[in-house]
Amino acid sequence: MDKVKYFFRQSWLLIVASFCFGLLIAVANAAWQDNIFQNEEDKFNNLVKEMIPDANTTEIVLENVEVRSGKGKKKVTSVRKAVSGDGQCVGWAFTCEGSGFADKIKLVLTVDAGFEKLKGYGVLSSNETPGFGDKIKEPYYRRQFVGAPTAELELVKLGNPEDKDSKIVAVTGATVSSEAVVKIVNTFLGRIKNHMQEKGLIDNGN
Amino acid sequence: MATNGQGSVGIYRGTLLAGLWRENPVFRLLLGMCPTLAVTAAVKPALTMGCCVIFVLVCSNIVVSLMRNLLRPHLRILMFTLTISTFVTIADLFLKAFQPEMSAALGPYVPLIIVNCIIICRAEACASKNGLAISVIDAVGMGVGFTITLCALAGVRELLATGKLFEANVMPGWFVPWAAMGMPVGAFVTLGLMLGLVNTITGKKN
Amino acid sequence: METLNVLLMGFISVVLINNLVFTKFLGICPYLGVSGRIDMAFGMGLAVTFVVTLSGTLTWMIDNWILMRFGLEVTRYVCFILVIAGAVQLVEMYLRKFFPPLYDSFGIFLPLITTNCAILGLCLFLHLWEIDSLVEAVVRSFGAGIGFTMAICIMAGIRENLELADVPACLKGAPITLITAGLLTLAFIGFAGMIR
Repeated sequence: MDKVKYFFRQSWLLIVASFCFGLLIAVANAAWQDNIFQNEEDKFNNLVKEMIPDANTTEIVLENVEVRSGKGKKKVTSVRKAVSGDGQCVGWAFTCEGSGFADKIKLVLTVDAGFEKLKGYGVLSSNETPGFGDKIKEPYYRRQFVGAPTAELELVKLGNPEDKDSKIVAVTGATVSSEAVVKIVNTFLGRIKNHMQEKGLIDNGN
Repeated sequence: MATNGQGSVGIYRGTLLAGLWRENPVFRLLLGMCPTLAVTAAVKPALTMGCCVIFVLVCSNIVVSLMRNLLRPHLRILMFTLTISTFVTIADLFLKAFQPEMSAALGPYVPLIIVNCIIICRAEACASKNGLAISVIDAVGMGVGFTITLCALAGVRELLATGKLFEANVMPGWFVPWAAMGMPVGAFVTLGLMLGLVNTITGKKN
Repeated sequence: METLNVLLMGFISVVLINNLVFTKFLGICPYLGVSGRIDMAFGMGLAVTFVVTLSGTLTWMIDNWILMRFGLEVTRYVCFILVIAGAVQLVEMYLRKFFPPLYDSFGIFLPLITTNCAILGLCLFLHLWEIDSLVEAVVRSFGAGIGFTMAICIMAGIRENLELADVPACLKGAPITLITAGLLTLAFIGFAGMIR
């Protein structure tokens, strides 16, 4: 009994403080949790609207789609349908990720309604070298994906960036970052397309 | 507590100014190096980090100063750590809710404020021994000194790395950005040279 | 075989490519403060490796098996720092009782390690990198410690020679160490992109 008393006399402040601080954190969390969630949604939706101007909102259609990214790693993503103001499907969007030059690159990939052509990608987060790998955020590289076919894309060093085909011209001085983006798109696109065809969300035989 | 009005104002002013220059946490005490190097790639993240540190410093100094007579000597560091980590969690939640781009830019360096030597050192050296008023002023002085240092460093790096200051174009058109300034090299070398500069200035004064 | 590959790549990535000191700016304070002697630097590095492997594993387990399962993610930072402080205390007590000569050789470094950004930083990065297996977490934590040790030993070696060089008075001490560290970082950029 003496030992317990001694313990409490030494540490009562710690226990009381822990409760108070825990309460403080819980209150702050409860107050701001909605904002935090909304911010993430907004970030995704704003990128989608940038690429599909008609889109009003996005709705989740497929959840927990597993994609094998090689080396035994599995990534999980969900596919969203972009709907316009009058409820029409104007495209599809999903997040995809993979390793870039420095850290992970997270992209939002948008495809047109028939899943025929890409509408482009937006960078959710990346840590590439400023001035070099960072150029994957800039129009020169992003433009090449707009209108590209939803098939296996190929990175080339020289070529015409204006051609809307499956050859993507790399950013000079940022080959690894450019290749990372192409690889991410290739890994996710095929798999998601298969999934969508299986679930009957898009026509087969496209 | 001070005995007469004039004396206390003098003490307050002295404490405030100490944090700004004479005992500047980064340049003189060599504390808090990790965030100084990590977030100073641009001025806006540096300013955000500075404000977070001011917030955590002031709050934790207030709490520690209020508790100073109840602390048991061997649980003291634990109490400091608990207090600081609570306020850092709150600051992190606030950033995620209201400044998501800054939160993403600062990334894991906001929780690293917990182990920032500045805060624990000030709690130990000042707040646990002095009254409320002096603790708050000391916190504000140190925090503002830290913020000014961060912004100075960030200003140099951002200007040279991208030609912009606070995301506005400042440098003339013929300036070719020094990409290395945005990378770890720039951080270390700039800080080293600035420290050398400060040493020269203070050396000349002596 | 593939898991072994993943582990090896993870290890090399943390030691060389995402070195905690040179790319993530963690652990700078002891990095600057450690004296310019290789044996002390090595001792510090070993102590950090020991603690970081232990804390990395513990915090990963707590994070994945307790915090995320019960939605208590908001208490992550508090839990991590308490676990780290506790782990350092435990290691100190254990060493003092069972390996006194080792304890003496670590000296003052062990208590200082609690405020080492590298430990908390690594625990947070383990979460950020979305490591999903315990073994990989252990390997990466160990790799982080080894990377830190390597960085510190290189630095100590250079500083030993810097003592004999003609450094300008205003740059003596911390400034020249920082500039040297910057040049080392530049050298290590050569490793970037090695692992796709």
